[in-house]
Amino acid sequence: MTKAILIDTTLCTACRACQVACKQWHDLPAEQTTNVGSFQNPQDLSDRTYKLVRMTETVIENRLKWLFFPDQCRHCLDAPCLSMAVDESAIYRDDLTGAILYTRNTRHLDPEEINVSCPYDIPRAGNDGIIAKCDFCNDRIHNGLKPACVTACPTGAMQFGDREDILSMADDRLKRVRKKFPGASLLNPDEVSVIYLVAFDPSVYSDYAVAQAHQGRGGISRSVALRKMIGPLARMMHIG
Amino acid sequence: MTNHWIDLKNSDCILIMGSNAAENHPISFKYVTQAMENGATLINVDPRFTRTSARADIYTALRSGTDIAFLGGMIKYILDNNLYNHEYTAEYTNAGFIVGKAFGFNDGLFSGYKKNEEGPSMGSYDKSTWAFEMDADGVPKIDRTLKHDRCVFQLMKKHYERYDLETVSRITGTSKQDLLTVYKTYSATGKKGQAGTIMYAMGWTQHTVGTQMIRTMAMIQLMLGNMGVAGGGVNALRGESNVQGSTDHCLLWHIWPGYLKIPQSSNDSLDAYNKAYTPVSKDPLSANWWQNYPRYSVSLLKAFFGEAATRDNQFGYNWLPKVDDGKVYSWFDLFDAMYKGNIKGFFAWGQNPACSGSNASKIREALGKLDWMVNTNIFDNETGSFWKGPGMDPSKIGTEVFMLPAAVSVEKEGSITNSGRWMQWRYQGPRPLGNSMPDGDIIMRLGHKIKELYQSSGEFADPIINLKWDYETHGEFDAHKAAKAINGTFTQDTTIKDKVYKKGALVPSFALLQADGSTASGNWLYCNSYTEKGNMAARRSDKDAPNNIGLYPEFAWCWPVNRRIIYNRASVDLKGQPWDEKDWVIRYQGQVDDGKYVSGKWVGDVPDGGWSPMQNPDGTRRTDTKHPFIMRKHGHGQIFGPGRADGPFPEHYEPLECPVEKNYLSSVMVNPTAVVYSTKADAHATYDPRFPFVGTTYRVSEHWQTGLMTRPQEWLMELQPSMFVEMSEELAKLRGIRNGERVKVASIRGALEATAIVTKRFKPFKIGPDTVHEIGIPWHFGWRWPETGTEETANLLTPPAGDPNTRIPETKAFMVNVTKL
Amino acid sequence: MKLNRRDFMKISGVTAAGIAVSGLGFDLKPVKAHASLLKTQYAKETTTICCYCAVGCGAIVHTSRRGDGRVINIEGDPDHVINQGSLCSKGSSLKQLVENDRRLTDPMYRAPFSDKWEKVSWEWALSTIAQRVKKTRDNSFEKINAAKQVVNRTTQIASIGSAAMDNEECWIYQALMRSLGLVYIEHQARI
Repeated sequence: MTKAILIDTTLCTACRACQVACKQWHDLPAEQTTNVGSFQNPQDLSDRTYKLVRMTETVIENRLKWLFFPDQCRHCLDAPCLSMAVDESAIYRDDLTGAILYTRNTRHLDPEEINVSCPYDIPRAGNDGIIAKCDFCNDRIHNGLKPACVTACPTGAMQFGDREDILSMADDRLKRVRKKFPGASLLNPDEVSVIYLVAFDPSVYSDYAVAQAHQGRGGISRSVALRKMIGPLARMMHIG
Repeated sequence: MTNHWIDLKNSDCILIMGSNAAENHPISFKYVTQAMENGATLINVDPRFTRTSARADIYTALRSGTDIAFLGGMIKYILDNNLYNHEYTAEYTNAGFIVGKAFGFNDGLFSGYKKNEEGPSMGSYDKSTWAFEMDADGVPKIDRTLKHDRCVFQLMKKHYERYDLETVSRITGTSKQDLLTVYKTYSATGKKGQAGTIMYAMGWTQHTVGTQMIRTMAMIQLMLGNMGVAGGGVNALRGESNVQGSTDHCLLWHIWPGYLKIPQSSNDSLDAYNKAYTPVSKDPLSANWWQNYPRYSVSLLKAFFGEAATRDNQFGYNWLPKVDDGKVYSWFDLFDAMYKGNIKGFFAWGQNPACSGSNASKIREALGKLDWMVNTNIFDNETGSFWKGPGMDPSKIGTEVFMLPAAVSVEKEGSITNSGRWMQWRYQGPRPLGNSMPDGDIIMRLGHKIKELYQSSGEFADPIINLKWDYETHGEFDAHKAAKAINGTFTQDTTIKDKVYKKGALVPSFALLQADGSTASGNWLYCNSYTEKGNMAARRSDKDAPNNIGLYPEFAWCWPVNRRIIYNRASVDLKGQPWDEKDWVIRYQGQVDDGKYVSGKWVGDVPDGGWSPMQNPDGTRRTDTKHPFIMRKHGHGQIFGPGRADGPFPEHYEPLECPVEKNYLSSVMVNPTAVVYSTKADAHATYDPRFPFVGTTYRVSEHWQTGLMTRPQEWLMELQPSMFVEMSEELAKLRGIRNGERVKVASIRGALEATAIVTKRFKPFKIGPDTVHEIGIPWHFGWRWPETGTEETANLLTPPAGDPNTRIPETKAFMVNVTKL
Repeated sequence: MKLNRRDFMKISGVTAAGIAVSGLGFDLKPVKAHASLLKTQYAKETTTICCYCAVGCGAIVHTSRRGDGRVINIEGDPDHVINQGSLCSKGSSLKQLVENDRRLTDPMYRAPFSDKWEKVSWEWALSTIAQRVKKTRDNSFEKINAAKQVVNRTTQIASIGSAAMDNEECWIYQALMRSLGLVYIEHQARI
């Protein structure tokens, strides 16, 4: 039985414990940031920021909303990045937990390719060329601990467990949340191991809250486009 | 907190006002969330839409400093609509007490007012005009029908008659519709079995009317029957890990450990001192717990001086310093004296006043007038290095500074007390880094050095030589020894109720403390925390009490005597049965014979005194009982508070600096007893076109206090890298300010740079005919870290004014200007 | 100190043997050994209570038993009844508070009119402070006030702090200050 995380954004307070707990457990360095007129920082994921609470102010039905979206790798059941890499020494799946894991050998991959293959815009390369992202705290899971972010979460917005249990918890939560927010939905629950519950249109929270065909960061190469067509992303695009 | 963190889950309606719990007490939201999942409503009232507001069912804004108007309107609503708990209000509060004929209130002033020409206090009241009427036996006259025209209930009704929706809305800027929604939702907890709670913090304390803001809410809680019950109470969310403990041990000028009074110069003997502060009640039904005062004061003196404290020398009473009658030595007054050159030596121990004090420029200047300063901390800070701060010339500053490196909490052993009064033990992980040292060791060693110097000569050396100073093992500070001394020991073999306690044995509970020197206790409130059964604070059982409401009585320890919810005898009706059958706190299980209790016991939490219920099952009154509010002289919750400096009922006044020309409730603009300082460093400007916007200060989740324990941490700086100012889109447009650009924020006292966060979360207020803008700034920054030196504290702008009861500064409401750089 | 709730999700049949975690991604030898050792595997475990706000959350401190004996990891204590393992962003960064090269590690002294800090010994610092205390106290000590009442105090030395200290430290601190005759004693609760 693989594992899954439910992130119920209706319970998130953006305390950002998850963001720091992730860095703490992984010994990741801080980024030099500046305040650009928002509480959100850093502005984006990176090879040293695997988890980022995206914050959006918006007015919905005449009520001010401050929406929080703790973004991270979804650990896809059928991961496009894995198919894209075709190198098990660089990107592989732990079949016991469902974690999609990146190794140092990702430095031999094309970071652009891997990034654009991701329907959620997650993987990022550092200056050393190593591509990095959330590792599901796979070491913790194997040792009977919850992922660091889930452990830290004060409100229970993040839950971790066996996939089956998390799916049924997600359905229960959705039913409850819909009483308050009729437009609530689960994001790609059948495709991913990190399932989000959002109260409103997912695109308000993040451009890539649900699976999107990726436009690429620096222009998409022809070979990438070709490989995309035969990769599992093609299937996912229809679902997204 | 009268209740505690876990208990929030038992609430039916949570009001978060004067705090931003989701950001500043994030783990509280574990229990706020649980309450909401169980159907509770979360109401949030705050000038700014915060991360707390983002989770609230009901959010509305009010202009900073207008909370008494807002809540006064709620009192009126509760009374007009008869929504209070009648039995509770009549029996457990002083609503039925008859107030003397001399009491009056007219156009913003209570009876007995006198203006003070000298300062810093603007004026004071002769409180004898607020006294209750007594019967021939010296017991207050009470009309429990609440009909007497001079009873507290009727006076309250009259007082808040003026707080109608129209007036309140005009003052607060909150729409009438929103006021009604909040009033209606919250006052529904007046129903039996419903509990409402308030979570407040510095948003209420930091005003010239701060104490009265809290009192207004306390009155509401009493009327609605929310005190003492699970999911209720008045809950101050304290901001520092051990600010509860350091307050209990009274690192404050006006109190000794356990909230005993500081002796005044007129208390010329121990007997005179004890007599002055031991209240006397003639009511046989009043427990009047403070009647035990001499037991606590003598035991404290025995803890200070050990064997040297004897009956003959008044247990060393005169070895301890006295303050002059009527003079105040609080934070503001301390730095005022330092600024005037009257203080030569200064310890800044684990605190950073150069950033944390209101009107911080005055503090920074004052530090330059010292001969010497000791600054103990874990990082260099703006206080220790003040002499090289912005605008300082080291070659002109003669202050000698010693900076002592302290260990971090995980590098030592000892206890701290959380906001819910839980004393919890923590252990040493690593040894202190480098040559840093636990505070306990620094204090012990310094004490030894000073004691050595006084062995040979020195002024009035007795208290120093006789101070008991043996809290070490193998030359290192031993927190267990100090914890035992705080709990207390028998100083001789003692027999109490046929039980023999050996000399040196730990005292099991404060009920056994004595006034004859046979017990020593460093703090009576903590007596029961470290007994012959062991270190109670170190307990870790997750077993709940029989009521299953999350008390966890064997996890850590809480004062007093492990009572998790105080005033809990008000959680039951007169017959001892809980108002709320589901989430009950205590209940009386009695044997009944012929309608009368013949024996019985309380179950659940540790009851507030073990006396039998007020009434028998047949409704007859009992005489072997006590009123539930045992710490009050008359045993009743105080809707009328005749002890306060600024009036027995809260009244709305404007902040010292405010954006309006008049107070819509009276012709008295500012709290007539507020405290305002007057050196040239203490300027203020109200309704002044140069400073047209309301300013308020606050904290964010990612930093803490002056930021000294968060600014050196890169993970946290990544999240909140610099000083910012939040403002509405409307204000930004008015000033031509773009989101993210650096701007100048100034008050009459100073200016700083900040990054503009232009947000929908602030909205202009409609105040009478005016549009009032409000901005907000955090106080977490200072020039020392980050090393750019460009980020400064909000307290450069905050005013030199404080609450008359506490002298806590008005840093939540003052006037500023914001301009492009 | 019993830690018992944390092994509830052990994955059966997976042995914890394999590889060390690297800072960024994994070293992968052999390719599919996922079950790495925890970085906290051989550390000393102690419990603490978070030093920031007054919720009183429990945390577990993992201290290396080897080498410098410093902190490897601090995370929420799942057996603590209040926070049940969770922490906020500040609590989650506790390790960086302790293991921080900006910390003061020696007593420092700034002489009058000097523009620099000098490193000094504890012995010198504490002896010198004691002398300063005695001098200021003795020069300013008031046995009686203007109204001829006994007051036995000094108003020329003041102290602030600290809610950052443990209870036991607070108590001995106030005892020392009061024995010296200080009346200007204040701390965080006033602001």
